[in-house]
Amino acid sequence: MQIAENREGATTIASLEGRLDTATAPATEEKLLSLLDAGPLVADMTGVRYVSSAGLRVLLKAAKQARTKGVGFSVCGLQPAVREVFEISGFDKIIPLHATRADALAAG
Amino acid sequence: MDAAALRHEMPPEVDALPALLDRLEEFAEGAGLSPRAAQHLALVTEELAANVAMHAAGATLVTVEASRQGDSVHLLIEDDGPPFDPLSVAEPDLDAGVETRDVGGLGVHFVRRMTREAHYERRDGRNRLTALLDAG
Repeated sequence: MQIAENREGATTIASLEGRLDTATAPATEEKLLSLLDAGPLVADMTGVRYVSSAGLRVLLKAAKQARTKGVGFSVCGLQPAVREVFEISGFDKIIPLHATRADALAAG
Repeated sequence: MDAAALRHEMPPEVDALPALLDRLEEFAEGAGLSPRAAQHLALVTEELAANVAMHAAGATLVTVEASRQGDSVHLLIEDDGPPFDPLSVAEPDLDAGVETRDVGGLGVHFVRRMTREAHYERRDGRNRLTALLDAG
Protein backbone atom coordinates (compact mmCIF):
# COMPACT_ATOMS: atom_id res chain seq x y z
CA MET A 1 0.00 0.00 0.00
CA GLN A 2 1.36 3.42 -1.01
CA ILE A 3 -0.06 6.55 0.57
CA ALA A 4 0.66 9.99 -0.91
CA GLU A 5 -0.42 13.17 0.87
CA ASN A 6 -1.66 16.45 -0.59
CA ARG A 7 -3.07 19.55 1.02
CA GLU A 8 -6.10 21.52 -0.17
CA GLY A 9 -6.57 24.34 2.34
CA ALA A 10 -7.03 22.73 5.75
CA THR A 11 -7.94 19.35 4.28
CA THR A 12 -5.42 16.57 3.77
CA ILE A 13 -5.99 14.25 0.83
CA ALA A 14 -4.47 10.81 1.26
CA SER A 15 -4.18 8.99 -2.07
CA LEU A 16 -4.12 5.27 -1.43
CA GLU A 17 -2.73 2.85 -3.97
CA GLY A 18 -2.68 -0.92 -3.76
CA ARG A 19 -4.68 -3.39 -1.69
CA LEU A 20 -6.33 -2.45 1.58
CA ASP A 21 -6.37 -5.89 3.19
CA THR A 22 -5.40 -7.82 6.30
CA ALA A 23 -1.70 -7.35 5.62
CA THR A 24 -1.75 -3.61 4.82
CA ALA A 25 -4.48 -2.57 7.29
CA PRO A 26 -2.27 -1.89 10.37
CA ALA A 27 0.12 0.54 8.63
CA THR A 28 -2.72 2.22 6.74
CA GLU A 29 -4.67 2.70 9.96
CA GLU A 30 -1.71 4.27 11.72
CA LYS A 31 -1.18 6.65 8.80
CA LEU A 32 -4.82 7.73 8.42
CA LEU A 33 -5.30 8.25 12.16
CA SER A 34 -2.18 10.39 12.39
CA LEU A 35 -3.32 12.48 9.39
CA LEU A 36 -6.68 13.01 11.12
CA ASP A 37 -4.81 14.59 14.04
CA ALA A 38 -3.94 17.44 11.67
CA GLY A 39 -7.53 18.12 10.54
CA PRO A 40 -10.09 17.02 7.94
CA LEU A 41 -9.15 14.10 5.74
CA VAL A 42 -10.26 12.75 2.36
CA ALA A 43 -9.12 9.24 1.46
CA ASP A 44 -8.83 9.07 -2.32
CA MET A 45 -9.16 5.38 -3.21
CA THR A 46 -8.93 5.69 -7.00
CA GLY A 47 -5.81 3.49 -6.91
CA VAL A 48 -7.21 0.84 -4.58
CA ARG A 49 -8.29 -2.28 -6.41
CA TYR A 50 -9.17 -4.42 -3.40
CA VAL A 51 -10.69 -3.85 0.04
CA SER A 52 -11.32 -6.63 2.57
CA SER A 53 -13.14 -6.52 5.90
CA ALA A 54 -9.83 -5.62 7.57
CA GLY A 55 -9.67 -2.61 5.25
CA LEU A 56 -13.23 -1.60 6.06
CA ARG A 57 -12.34 -1.79 9.75
CA VAL A 58 -9.58 0.80 9.16
CA LEU A 59 -12.00 3.21 7.46
CA LEU A 60 -14.57 2.69 10.22
CA LYS A 61 -11.94 3.52 12.83
CA ALA A 62 -10.99 6.66 10.95
CA ALA A 63 -14.66 7.69 10.69
CA LYS A 64 -15.13 7.15 14.43
CA GLN A 65 -12.02 9.14 15.32
CA ALA A 66 -13.06 11.96 12.97
CA ARG A 67 -16.44 12.11 14.68
CA THR A 68 -14.82 12.18 18.13
CA LYS A 69 -12.54 15.02 17.08
CA GLY A 70 -15.25 16.86 15.17
CA VAL A 71 -13.34 16.91 11.88
CA GLY A 72 -14.45 15.78 8.43
CA PHE A 73 -13.60 12.39 6.96
CA SER A 74 -14.76 11.05 3.62
CA VAL A 75 -13.75 8.62 0.91
CA CYS A 76 -13.72 9.21 -2.84
CA GLY A 77 -12.90 7.49 -6.10
CA LEU A 78 -14.08 3.95 -5.40
CA GLN A 79 -13.58 1.48 -8.23
CA PRO A 80 -16.82 -0.38 -9.09
CA ALA A 81 -15.73 -3.70 -7.54
CA VAL A 82 -14.66 -1.91 -4.36
CA ARG A 83 -17.87 0.10 -4.25
CA GLU A 84 -19.81 -3.17 -4.28
CA VAL A 85 -17.91 -4.28 -1.16
CA PHE A 86 -19.00 -1.06 0.58
CA GLU A 87 -22.60 -1.66 -0.48
CA ILE A 88 -22.74 -5.31 0.55
CA SER A 89 -21.30 -4.44 3.96
CA GLY A 90 -23.58 -1.43 4.48
CA PHE A 91 -20.54 0.86 4.72
CA ASP A 92 -21.90 3.08 1.95
CA LYS A 93 -24.40 4.26 4.57
CA ILE A 94 -21.95 5.01 7.38
CA ILE A 95 -18.93 6.46 5.57
CA PRO A 96 -19.45 9.54 3.37
CA LEU A 97 -18.59 8.53 -0.22
CA HIS A 98 -17.96 10.88 -3.12
CA ALA A 99 -17.37 10.15 -6.79
CA THR A 100 -14.39 12.46 -7.15
CA ARG A 101 -11.85 14.33 -5.07
CA ALA A 102 -13.45 17.63 -6.16
CA ASP A 103 -16.85 16.44 -4.91
CA ALA A 104 -15.31 15.40 -1.59
CA LEU A 105 -13.60 18.77 -1.12
CA ALA A 106 -16.75 20.66 -2.11
CA ALA A 107 -18.75 18.71 0.50
CA GLY A 108 -16.21 19.77 3.13
CA MET B 1 0.53 -24.64 -15.03
CA ASP B 2 -3.09 -24.88 -16.07
CA ALA B 3 -4.28 -21.28 -16.13
CA ALA B 4 -7.80 -22.33 -15.21
CA ALA B 5 -6.77 -24.03 -11.97
CA LEU B 6 -4.94 -22.93 -8.86
CA ARG B 7 -3.46 -24.83 -5.94
CA HIS B 8 -1.73 -22.85 -3.25
CA GLU B 9 -0.38 -23.96 0.10
CA MET B 10 0.49 -21.44 2.80
CA PRO B 11 1.30 -21.25 6.49
CA PRO B 12 -1.61 -19.85 8.51
CA GLU B 13 0.01 -16.43 8.91
CA VAL B 14 -1.12 -12.93 8.05
CA ASP B 15 2.23 -12.33 6.33
CA ALA B 16 1.40 -15.12 3.89
CA LEU B 17 -1.83 -13.47 2.70
CA PRO B 18 -0.35 -11.06 0.11
CA ALA B 19 1.20 -13.98 -1.79
CA LEU B 20 -2.19 -15.73 -1.73
CA LEU B 21 -3.87 -12.62 -3.16
CA ASP B 22 -1.17 -12.38 -5.85
CA ARG B 23 -1.84 -15.98 -6.85
CA LEU B 24 -5.59 -15.40 -6.89
CA GLU B 25 -5.20 -12.32 -9.12
CA GLU B 26 -3.00 -14.36 -11.47
CA PHE B 27 -5.55 -17.15 -11.54
CA ALA B 28 -8.45 -14.75 -12.13
CA GLU B 29 -6.63 -13.23 -15.08
CA GLY B 30 -5.62 -16.57 -16.57
CA ALA B 31 -9.11 -18.01 -16.11
CA GLY B 32 -10.75 -14.95 -17.67
CA LEU B 33 -12.86 -14.00 -14.66
CA SER B 34 -14.68 -10.66 -14.73
CA PRO B 35 -13.27 -7.96 -12.41
CA ARG B 36 -16.28 -8.43 -10.15
CA ALA B 37 -15.86 -12.22 -10.02
CA ALA B 38 -12.14 -11.80 -9.36
CA GLN B 39 -12.89 -9.46 -6.44
CA HIS B 40 -15.44 -11.88 -5.01
CA LEU B 41 -13.04 -14.81 -5.23
CA ALA B 42 -10.19 -12.85 -3.63
CA LEU B 43 -12.41 -11.54 -0.83
CA VAL B 44 -14.02 -14.84 0.05
CA THR B 45 -10.67 -16.62 0.03
CA GLU B 46 -8.75 -13.96 1.94
CA GLU B 47 -11.42 -13.61 4.61
CA LEU B 48 -11.47 -17.35 5.25
CA ALA B 49 -7.69 -17.73 5.18
CA ALA B 50 -7.25 -14.68 7.44
CA ASN B 51 -9.73 -16.22 9.84
CA VAL B 52 -7.57 -19.33 10.12
CA ALA B 53 -4.40 -17.21 10.42
CA MET B 54 -5.80 -15.12 13.25
CA HIS B 55 -7.97 -17.56 15.19
CA ALA B 56 -7.08 -21.20 14.52
CA ALA B 57 -4.65 -22.10 17.30
CA GLY B 58 -2.45 -25.01 16.29
CA ALA B 59 -3.15 -24.87 12.56
CA THR B 60 -0.02 -25.47 10.48
CA LEU B 61 -1.24 -25.34 6.88
CA VAL B 62 -3.90 -23.75 4.71
CA THR B 63 -4.55 -25.14 1.24
CA VAL B 64 -6.49 -23.22 -1.38
CA GLU B 65 -7.71 -24.74 -4.62
CA ALA B 66 -9.69 -22.91 -7.27
CA SER B 67 -10.75 -23.93 -10.73
CA ARG B 68 -12.98 -22.54 -13.41
CA GLN B 69 -15.61 -24.78 -14.93
CA GLY B 70 -17.80 -23.00 -17.45
CA ASP B 71 -19.53 -20.09 -15.78
CA SER B 72 -18.53 -21.23 -12.29
CA VAL B 73 -15.51 -21.09 -10.04
CA HIS B 74 -15.06 -23.97 -7.63
CA LEU B 75 -13.21 -23.06 -4.47
CA LEU B 76 -11.85 -25.34 -1.74
CA ILE B 77 -10.14 -24.06 1.39
CA GLU B 78 -8.72 -26.57 3.85
CA ASP B 79 -6.93 -26.14 7.15
CA ASP B 80 -5.73 -28.44 9.91
CA GLY B 81 -6.82 -26.23 12.81
CA PRO B 82 -9.39 -27.14 15.46
CA PRO B 83 -12.90 -27.93 14.15
CA PHE B 84 -14.58 -24.66 13.21
CA ASP B 85 -17.46 -23.94 10.84
CA PRO B 86 -17.05 -20.33 9.65
CA LEU B 87 -20.58 -20.43 8.23
CA SER B 88 -21.95 -20.73 11.77
CA VAL B 89 -20.89 -17.16 12.63
CA ALA B 90 -23.80 -14.76 13.24
CA GLU B 91 -24.72 -12.10 10.66
CA PRO B 92 -23.45 -8.58 11.40
CA ASP B 93 -25.88 -5.73 12.10
CA LEU B 94 -25.71 -3.93 8.75
CA ASP B 95 -27.95 -1.10 9.91
CA ALA B 96 -25.84 0.04 12.85
CA GLY B 97 -24.52 3.61 12.67
CA VAL B 98 -20.90 4.67 12.71
CA GLU B 99 -20.79 4.82 16.52
CA THR B 100 -21.97 1.29 17.16
CA ARG B 101 -20.96 -0.48 14.01
CA ASP B 102 -18.47 -3.28 14.43
CA VAL B 103 -16.81 -5.28 11.69
CA GLY B 104 -17.12 -8.66 13.33
CA GLY B 105 -18.75 -11.29 11.15
CA LEU B 106 -18.31 -9.22 8.01
CA GLY B 107 -15.92 -11.67 6.40
CA VAL B 108 -18.47 -14.45 6.64
CA HIS B 109 -21.16 -12.06 5.41
CA PHE B 110 -19.06 -11.64 2.25
CA VAL B 111 -18.77 -15.41 1.93
CA ARG B 112 -22.55 -15.76 2.12
CA ARG B 113 -23.28 -12.90 -0.25
CA MET B 114 -20.56 -13.55 -2.84
CA THR B 115 -20.95 -17.28 -3.29
CA ARG B 116 -23.74 -19.21 -4.97
CA GLU B 117 -23.27 -22.05 -2.48
CA ALA B 118 -20.96 -22.68 0.42
CA HIS B 119 -20.58 -25.87 2.41
CA TYR B 120 -18.52 -26.81 5.45
CA GLU B 121 -17.39 -30.24 6.57
CA ARG B 122 -14.85 -31.69 8.96
CA ARG B 123 -13.00 -34.54 7.29
CA ASP B 124 -9.78 -36.43 8.14
CA GLY B 125 -8.84 -33.92 10.83
CA ARG B 126 -9.29 -30.93 8.53
CA ASN B 127 -11.80 -28.15 8.06
CA ARG B 128 -13.02 -28.14 4.44
CA LEU B 129 -14.93 -25.21 3.08
CA THR B 130 -16.17 -25.63 -0.48
CA ALA B 131 -17.90 -22.86 -2.41
CA LEU B 132 -19.26 -22.14 -5.86
CA LEU B 133 -18.88 -18.62 -7.29
CA ASP B 134 -19.85 -16.90 -10.54
CA ALA B 135 -17.07 -16.60 -13.11
CA GLY B 136 -18.72 -13.74 -15.01
